[in-house]
Amino acid sequence: MTLLAHAIAAAPPAAMSHDGLRGRSLAWSEAGGLGLWSTEWARDMKLERPDALAHHRLVERICAVQPCLPVRFGTAFATPDEARASLEKRAAALHAALTRVAGKSELALTLLWSKNSGASALRPPSVPEADGPGRRYMEARRAEYAALATRRARAQALVDRVISELAIERPLVWHQTCTSEDVAVSLAVLVPTERALERKAELEHLAARFADVVPVVNGPWPPYTFAGTE
Amino acid sequence: MTELTAEDTSLLELVDRLLNKGVVLAGEATISVAGIDLIYLGLNVVLAAVETIEKAQERRAS
Repeated sequence: MTLLAHAIAAAPPAAMSHDGLRGRSLAWSEAGGLGLWSTEWARDMKLERPDALAHHRLVERICAVQPCLPVRFGTAFATPDEARASLEKRAAALHAALTRVAGKSELALTLLWSKNSGASALRPPSVPEADGPGRRYMEARRAEYAALATRRARAQALVDRVISELAIERPLVWHQTCTSEDVAVSLAVLVPTERALERKAELEHLAARFADVVPVVNGPWPPYTFAGTE
Repeated sequence: MTELTAEDTSLLELVDRLLNKGVVLAGEATISVAGIDLIYLGLNVVLAAVETIEKAQERRAS
């Protein structure tokens, strides 16, 4: 029997339904004062796309009853002993991570470049044909780099404004800028769960004031981004 | 420019977290999906979302 891992929590396990993915049993493997919630999976069962979302809902369920660290989807152990050994090996770091995220949830803010500030803004200006192909190429590259640098600076300014206006402590924020042509900012923030909806509304209100991006706010989610122990 | 909808963006952000964030446990094994390594499941989900975007654009254009 394989165990498909979902989340790590401090022992003892909270009382909850033992329905795992696809109606299979949810198991608790304990070691080092910690436990791993996982679904008893069959080795020959293939994971499908809906399983990823079911894993997310299950992690939400676990987080609702006790502080937990989401485990990366797709992590599996061949036996309960292997799962316990894995917990034991990193117990100190996992306890510290649990303390860090206990009582907190993750909000996600994505800022998409709006139409007029998107890919078209990166298009280089036309260079007269008479200038020759080499010159045209160099001018186009120069303009492209300049536009990209401008957008990166603008994206970072947006991040700084969000952090400053919402008075968020830097260690509680993770962000990336300009990850694709469409995305200006991808940001995650760890907030107290009991204030998550209030903080989400503040985030939406603030982001709606940015003229050159379209904001998408998600969550509250389990603390995926802040669960790492590396 | 490809326009991501709020729904597409939410799905991509969530999938990114499920596959790229969270605790990485030592000794883990990655389950393959129909013989394809899980990383490609992520890619497939993203590709599916992109297909949705493209179809929506085609609908808007017609």
